[in-house]
Amino acid sequence: MAAGGGGSGDPLAPAGVPCAFSPHSQAYFALASTDGHLRVWETANNRLHQEYVPSAHLSGTCTCLAWAPARLQAKESPQRKKRKSEAVGTSNQTDLLALGTAVGSILLYSTVKGELHSKLVSGGHDNRVNCIQWHQDSGCLYSCSDDKHIVEWNVQACKVKCKWKGDNSSVSSLCISPDGKMLLSAGRTIKLWVLETKEVYRHFTGHATPVSSLMFTTIRPPNESQPFDGITGLYFLSGAVHDRLLNVWQVRSENKEKSAVMSFTVTDEPVYIDLTLSENKEEPVKLAVVCRDGQVHLFEHILNGYCKKPLTSNCTIQIATPGKGKKSTPKPIPILAAGFCSDKMSLLLVYGSWFQPTIERVALNSREPHMCLVRDISNCWAPKVETAITKVRTPVMNSEAKVLVPGIPGHHAAIKPAPPQTEQVESKRKSGGNEVSIEERLGAMDIDARKKGKDDLQTNSFPVLLTQGLESNDFEMLNKVLQTRNVNLIKKTVLRMPLHTVIPLLQELTKRLQGHPNSAVLMVQWLKCVLTVHASYLSTLPDLVPQLGTLYQLMESRVKTFQKLSHLHGKLILLITQVTASEKTKGATSPGQKAKLVYEEESSEEESDDEIADKDSEDNWDEDEEESESEKDEDIDEEEDEDAEGKDEENGEDRDIASEKELNGDSDLDPENESEEE
Amino acid sequence: MAGYKPVAIQTYPILGEKITQDTLYWNNYKTPVQIKEFGAVSKVDFSPQPPYNYAVTASSRIHIYGRYSQEPIKTFSRFKYTAYCATFRQDGRLLVAGSEDGGVQLFDISGRAPLRQFEGHTKAVHTVDFTADKYHVVSGADDYTVKLWDIPNSKEILTFKEHSDYVRCGCASKLNPDLFITGSYDHTVKMFDARTNTSVLSVEHGQPVESVLLFPSGGLLVSAGGRYVKVWDMLKGGQLLVSLKNHHKTVTCLCLSSSGQRLLSGSLDRKVKVYSTTSYKVVHSFDYAASILSLALAHEDETIVVGMTNGILSVKHRKSEAKKESIPRRRRPAYRTFIKGKNYMKQRDDILINRPAKKHLELYDRDLKHFRISKALDRVLDPTCTIKTPEITVSIIKELNRRGVLANALAGRDEKEISHVLNFLIRHLSQPRFAPVLINAAEIIIDIYLPVIGQSPVVDKKFLLLQGLVEKEIDYQRELLETLGMMDMLFATMRRKEGTSVLEHTSDGFPENKKIES
Repeated sequence: MAAGGGGSGDPLAPAGVPCAFSPHSQAYFALASTDGHLRVWETANNRLHQEYVPSAHLSGTCTCLAWAPARLQAKESPQRKKRKSEAVGTSNQTDLLALGTAVGSILLYSTVKGELHSKLVSGGHDNRVNCIQWHQDSGCLYSCSDDKHIVEWNVQACKVKCKWKGDNSSVSSLCISPDGKMLLSAGRTIKLWVLETKEVYRHFTGHATPVSSLMFTTIRPPNESQPFDGITGLYFLSGAVHDRLLNVWQVRSENKEKSAVMSFTVTDEPVYIDLTLSENKEEPVKLAVVCRDGQVHLFEHILNGYCKKPLTSNCTIQIATPGKGKKSTPKPIPILAAGFCSDKMSLLLVYGSWFQPTIERVALNSREPHMCLVRDISNCWAPKVETAITKVRTPVMNSEAKVLVPGIPGHHAAIKPAPPQTEQVESKRKSGGNEVSIEERLGAMDIDARKKGKDDLQTNSFPVLLTQGLESNDFEMLNKVLQTRNVNLIKKTVLRMPLHTVIPLLQELTKRLQGHPNSAVLMVQWLKCVLTVHASYLSTLPDLVPQLGTLYQLMESRVKTFQKLSHLHGKLILLITQVTASEKTKGATSPGQKAKLVYEEESSEEESDDEIADKDSEDNWDEDEEESESEKDEDIDEEEDEDAEGKDEENGEDRDIASEKELNGDSDLDPENESEEE
Repeated sequence: MAGYKPVAIQTYPILGEKITQDTLYWNNYKTPVQIKEFGAVSKVDFSPQPPYNYAVTASSRIHIYGRYSQEPIKTFSRFKYTAYCATFRQDGRLLVAGSEDGGVQLFDISGRAPLRQFEGHTKAVHTVDFTADKYHVVSGADDYTVKLWDIPNSKEILTFKEHSDYVRCGCASKLNPDLFITGSYDHTVKMFDARTNTSVLSVEHGQPVESVLLFPSGGLLVSAGGRYVKVWDMLKGGQLLVSLKNHHKTVTCLCLSSSGQRLLSGSLDRKVKVYSTTSYKVVHSFDYAASILSLALAHEDETIVVGMTNGILSVKHRKSEAKKESIPRRRRPAYRTFIKGKNYMKQRDDILINRPAKKHLELYDRDLKHFRISKALDRVLDPTCTIKTPEITVSIIKELNRRGVLANALAGRDEKEISHVLNFLIRHLSQPRFAPVLINAAEIIIDIYLPVIGQSPVVDKKFLLLQGLVEKEIDYQRELLETLGMMDMLFATMRRKEGTSVLEHTSDGFPENKKIES
């Protein structure tokens, strides 16, 4: 469970550091930080209980740790799965903490005595120890390492009992079955060993990356009628490096199927797993998974065989700092570990930096799919070591002391010793009030960032692209930059581009200015920008005139036609407007326009006018033939009024005929003309 | 009697990239054949002997390809880890390769298992090469050492521990069996002499060295690292001759053309640049799809093989020359026909009257000669002419304008013909070299066809297009005018500065004079 300790230097970086709750009612929480210190915290009051610095804490940092199984009262209910056993541990094992180091040694630390109990070195590993597991009955210790071996230790004698090759590559994880007869080991593949004979009982394959965590999940027999043989129906969990799935495997004596029966999806690589065991068939297994990104996912599932789809979490817990005021954005606080309390209804969460973690008990609310706890940890940063604690081995620090810890780059103002304000922290807890959830906050943040960031991003890359394109004369790259239409972007790019590219850019622009006005217009934008932005630089150039001479001449020669072109443009505009106007009038009925002529000159030369009218309106005549003469009159009248009305209105106008005839003195002549023609 | 003078066709400089001998040469390759390898192709090496097979190192395999095969004709896959730098010996029969685990293996081309294994490096061996005497192998590794191995008894002869970082490239001299050079990530290129146990020359490249190359003569050394390619003169004791910075990302590989006249460099910016080794200017450039890691040229530049980070091997073969020859040439009249009677020697009283040489006239010239102006214009408005040689069309229009008959030539056209003319105008009006003539023509067209405008939607549309174009051009020129104003300002400040400086000079001069006077 003390998963791969690749802790990073930043104390707030979400990363897995080796840590574990003590088996005995989770009274203590041990955490081995990357600076080589082992710290034991009291979970109840969040105080530092003990601190121990191994002698070789910098060369051989702690990579994994495991509490020895607790001395249990006969009737006490089990706290943690692997500690759960009927056997009583030998007395000198109690409160022993086993630490694996990067150089291959294993240290046994006694929390009662507060000092190193013994050191397991001889005949052991010669490379980084990846995982340590105590055997719950025999008092043996199992460890695996990068040197491909698994070692069984006799803790009393501090000697190697057995050592065998566990895998072709490094063995990253171990787990002992609930009945103590089998051992799971994992490197690339997961192997199930019979502990007595050290033979491989079963292989499980399916992970592409090294397995980082392993854990048995059940001791419940698959069905009540069958006696439990310790193997059949056993489930175990496995998580792998860079894998966002937690696989569940079933050990079956009869079935040879080797793939995982189901999987849980999480948001990042699981670094700490804890679960409650179901005692009967109906009770689901509760699973808490801490991911590398600092979130906790809770699952509840009844294990009953194969499930095709990966299961998503029932509840996700995040912790974030409160955003003070409007400017500061909330930052996520990584959760380091999570353990179920004995009542299975609340969860112990360890969060904050490994330097000063905060331990808190959180009641589980299964209905809420997403929980975000807002905590202020800024004042918890100062190491507060109370002198009252007797067993602290490190020099006592007063509250004003500035503590420098190796591996923390930005160890600055954040450390401000202030009285701890736990009450305030407690009150900040989200209770449904008017607090905004982290999701909403993040959403709001995202949008802001995008709005602001878009141009910045592009202008950051554009000058680079432009310089690269100019230097290597890459046509496509230059096109990408120069063909932008965004004036703002052009300005910013020109502002940020290095000075030595100004002249090459001008030369490139000279080349491109000769093209079609469509593309050349964009180049002028660039040219203008360069001239305005870098005017002072350009004016200092001694050979400016020869440099820009060709450009100037080119532009001048092109501009020469401006007058003529404008002249032509004027003509064209007139032409186009005429065309469009004629098109518009085309939409209206044509016979009228021509008929207009008939009117004006009819009184004098009837014959000739008739002919013209005839010619002009011949096309339309056919349509009108069926219509009554009176309608013809009306058409003509309408056109006289210069109405561009369609024929659809004709029926409605019958009524007006008489009145119009009266108004127009000439109207009585018209019917005669037309009748003659027809 | 003055004959007809053909229309002078104005010539214009061709815009765009210049076509040089080099572009022709390097463009004369077929479309590349792409072969997918198992991993990034870290090295390509051609066998120096026919049939010029090439070895491709990618991931943990070495494939040997034939000249035209797209399937490997042989594979060496007995590497547990990544293989590096598979190199042929000068006789093309042995192949040596380094490996990630620090081993150096020697293979026979016909065999499968390694002939020799040289153990001694503790880290990945990225570069191996045969020395000129064929019996030694030089290797450079990530453990900062360079080792010289003896092939016959597979012993280590010498170890050089002068580099202070990974040794990633190297090559042996082709002339001297004792000389070889290595480039390292400690920014240096060192030349070692097997006779002296130490390096005899060291040059500072300035960036981690990714590739080195010796000219066949051995006098010049080329090193590539960072964005630079640098050429060093070895005979002058490592003087920097040229520094080239034409890539915008790290240069990873170098290669010489078979003639030695061109240097090729491949880079992570996905380009191969060809430099002339006389002027050290880029004469050509190839584009590839991914970052280039390795590059090799076949004998006589027949093939360019480029290996990329995405595991694709691009193979380009030269186009065969034979096809051009196959076109049968038309039989022409014999030479005798042309000189018939020309060699007649004039006698004493003869008067020689030369027949005027018949001038060859283009078709449009003939039309113009016979005053078929409309036809001449038709001829040059033919699409084949307008697309290929617009300058001829423009010259004819200009000539017609000069004669004052352009209006006549343009008049009396139907919808189709006038749309041809308008098309031409739309296409070329914005070109500054044609603009003055074409604007004039456009105005004449408008004047002629104004009365009938609006009758044909096709022509109307063309006029609309033309109008749009002219509007854009005017906008553009307005912008240009503004820019010209800016530049005038700039130039003016320049001149003023010159003027002021002169003034200052004179004012400086005065006091001196005064002093002298006083």
